[in-house]
Amino acid sequence: MSARTSTPLPAPPVKIQRGNAAPPRTQRPARRKKKINPFVHFLRGLARRIYFGVRISYKVLLLLPIPLFMVAFSFQVDRSGFYQGALAPRRIVDLMLDGKDVTNFEQMDERSVVQLYAQDVPETPEVIGIGSSRVLQFTRDIVGSQSFFNMGVTGADVRDAMTSYYKMVSYGKTPKVLLWSVDPWVFHGGENSLDARADANLYNEFLTKVLNIPTDYEEPISPEAWEALADPAYFQGNFDYYLKNRGNDTAVDADGNPIEFNAVTGNVYNQTASVKRSDGSILYAVTFRERSVDEVRNDAAIVCYTVDSIHMEEFDHLDTNRVLAFEAFIRYAQSQGTTVVLVLAPWHPYLYDFMLTEPEKHQGFFAVEPYVRQFCAENNIPLYGSYDPSLIEGLEEEDFFDGVHCKGSGFEKLFPGIKKILYSAETNTLPDPLALTPRTGQAAAE
Amino acid sequence: MTLAQVFAAITPEQFIAYLQKRGTLSVTTVSFLVFFALVAVVNYALPRVLRPYYLLAVSIGYFCYEPSYRPLLWALLGLAGLSWLCGLVIGSVRSKPVRVLALLAAIAGSVGLLFYYKYWNMAADVVAGTPLSGVLPHRGSILAPMGLSYFALSSLSYPIDVFKRRCKVEKNPLHYALFVCYFPTLITGPIERYPHLRPQIKKSRRFSYTRCAGGAFRMLWGYTKKMVIADNLNLYITAVYQNAAVMGGPNLLAATLLFAVRLYMDFSGCCDIVLGASRILGYDLLENFQAPLEARTFSGIWRRWHISMSSWFRDYVYIPLGGSRCALWRKCLNTMIVFTVSGIWHGADWRYMMWGAACGVVSVLSILTAAPRRFIADRNPLYKMEWFKVLFQTACADVLFALVFVFFNCALLNVEPGVVFTGLTQGWHGIAPAWQEIARSLHACGLDGRLPVVLVFSIFVVFAVEHGGRNVARWIREQPWPLRWTLYYAASAAILFFAAFGQSAFIYQNY
Repeated sequence: MSARTSTPLPAPPVKIQRGNAAPPRTQRPARRKKKINPFVHFLRGLARRIYFGVRISYKVLLLLPIPLFMVAFSFQVDRSGFYQGALAPRRIVDLMLDGKDVTNFEQMDERSVVQLYAQDVPETPEVIGIGSSRVLQFTRDIVGSQSFFNMGVTGADVRDAMTSYYKMVSYGKTPKVLLWSVDPWVFHGGENSLDARADANLYNEFLTKVLNIPTDYEEPISPEAWEALADPAYFQGNFDYYLKNRGNDTAVDADGNPIEFNAVTGNVYNQTASVKRSDGSILYAVTFRERSVDEVRNDAAIVCYTVDSIHMEEFDHLDTNRVLAFEAFIRYAQSQGTTVVLVLAPWHPYLYDFMLTEPEKHQGFFAVEPYVRQFCAENNIPLYGSYDPSLIEGLEEEDFFDGVHCKGSGFEKLFPGIKKILYSAETNTLPDPLALTPRTGQAAAE
Repeated sequence: MTLAQVFAAITPEQFIAYLQKRGTLSVTTVSFLVFFALVAVVNYALPRVLRPYYLLAVSIGYFCYEPSYRPLLWALLGLAGLSWLCGLVIGSVRSKPVRVLALLAAIAGSVGLLFYYKYWNMAADVVAGTPLSGVLPHRGSILAPMGLSYFALSSLSYPIDVFKRRCKVEKNPLHYALFVCYFPTLITGPIERYPHLRPQIKKSRRFSYTRCAGGAFRMLWGYTKKMVIADNLNLYITAVYQNAAVMGGPNLLAATLLFAVRLYMDFSGCCDIVLGASRILGYDLLENFQAPLEARTFSGIWRRWHISMSSWFRDYVYIPLGGSRCALWRKCLNTMIVFTVSGIWHGADWRYMMWGAACGVVSVLSILTAAPRRFIADRNPLYKMEWFKVLFQTACADVLFALVFVFFNCALLNVEPGVVFTGLTQGWHGIAPAWQEIARSLHACGLDGRLPVVLVFSIFVVFAVEHGGRNVARWIREQPWPLRWTLYYAASAAILFFAAFGQSAFIYQNY
């Protein structure tokens, strides 16, 4: 047994023989040491080291598939969403990219969905829409392009709108056309115009690094997310997660709870809850869509007294910085080869008429459309629609879901389709933005 | 974000910060592997004559890596210096009183250091309330230098060997310092002897690919034993022992038996890593295990378990006390003393002492009952089947060994041994309910799904490969390359898929 071990077991210590007791050793004649040239000796040593270095490196390379597999698998499954985004938005985006409509819109983190869509969409959409929920009725049919994705998010402020486009550009997926439904609060400089869910840091980065507008942006400290990839414990978690989800219709999160976002089954127009369409637009629940004109008007009447709460409290003038950012953004998009098309989504006639009765309370709001029209006229930017519903031919109260959201039927009346717009732009036959003058209540006030 | 973007964002500063993150060079960390790889590469890049000095510097650096140990460097170097100086005096001076004085100084240094850092508070507690309490006041928490128990015994053995003329005097203090401070042995031993390491330090080995490959596999083997088997078993054992008061007999018995396996996998795994690493650096350290759980007697297990420690106590305590060449009562007393001392060596806790004493009692009983047992064995018809005899005796020895280790595990997990021993006899309602109870507990502590199967299979593979105390590093080099590479990949994959990360450090790292 002991003969097979590499090192001897500690045997009982042996006494060193001293004096004459030890038997005399037979001495061999000393060999003459062969002299070696030091330079040759050095070269030999070097060659030996290089040889073994290469040999060891080669063997280490043969073992490399294991860590590579670990890293690639963790990156791909990524149960904590360090690299691929959170599991729920990932599930939603995967379904949308599969061309499926997704249930449970109310529970979605829309901004994460937009982020992941920008990251994962394999082919750049030709047209994207940005803005708040007021743009979310733009569908592929209304836009007139099958390569359209609506990146609008509920409650979007100026930061959401601009960063949605910036994300596409930063992923190298610059769209040909940008359809921006400009909300009035885009020009409101107050804190009330901002939505807490927006990515403030990304917006500041965009302003500072891209538009050269100074902000308090600081380069974030790198989260060093790569460390998770080098962590075998993270790999094990991913492996368990993968096994749990493999072949299941219902996806589960890292804790094993089901992710409640699934593909719509049955008639999509008959759903009892709102649905996120595969083109990013929203199809509201059937009960909401089929409300009567009176119900909608009642809704608009209620909103009359709370309309300022939609990011417009204390909005009494156009903020200079916001105007600068807006103009810089348009120029930036154009410099990226994107054709910018602006849309002013109309407000419910009852609501708009009510606001006209107290113009001094909505000075900022009423200043937006004239400015936008002037800007578009000066820069030859296609502009469609108006906040003032009376300016849109054929638009009726039936074309509204509530006080602020226009139906797709309403947009069909103001938006001619992207092909026609591009043709008009090429042939220089775009409608003159200044041809229409919205009611702002100024005349009455004066 | 793509994978390439993730990796492109890594800066050297980030990578270094990542390695330093945990502030420790514990053997199971990536930092240690990177550190060791660099040490090995530089070691072989240097001329052979410089390597011992380089390794000494690395060892000191390793000791000082954790800031809390830096102020304790004096203890390590001071003890090395003292024992070297005493060895020099003992070996150079002919006057016996001077040699004896030097020997006593060396012993006082080592034992004093051990006492100060490990047993001071225990002694203070013992003498509390007596006039001696003024001399031995309680000192609060005292941090012992890393590897104190190992380097104290190593440095103690050298002057004794020189005194007994079993070892030549070392003239080069740096060579001797490397023997005391050699960083792989600071982790969990083995407790080296200078006559064994001296020729290897005097003449560093040339690089050998076969040695290094064998050493690397042995490290991998050790990691597999520790991280896949020991750490997963630990989940169950800890859960059972820490709830010993409410656990039934089946779980306590299973945990007690599994603790012996876990301890073996943990300690021998660490020794595999240490010996493999040393092998890569060109040093052969003493083997610490030789398939102990295959032994057929309790004393046989101890001859193969923690060999460097048990042989140290044999050579420097047991034999000086008279060994076994004396009256029976004296032999039994010597055995009791040696085991109790080795129990105390493990820590300043009465449960370690009890464990040592229990080992002593079992050993004494085995000495006293040797003749009757042999008489019965000769007449036992079942023993005519050799396989049965081997299996039965091995099982008996292992169960006895595991039961004695209840004290040890209780000391580790701070549990009252009485609770465990009482619990062992309760809650037995047949084999099927017992099995269900164990299965439930295994499931509750995360050992479900494929893991129990993997663990049983891994334990079987480990015992099969190590059968008869086979040297894994050498054995792997004798295998054909397909089997060799299958094992490399299997061990790596086992760690990747089944290792329990974030578990405790090695048990013997605490001593």
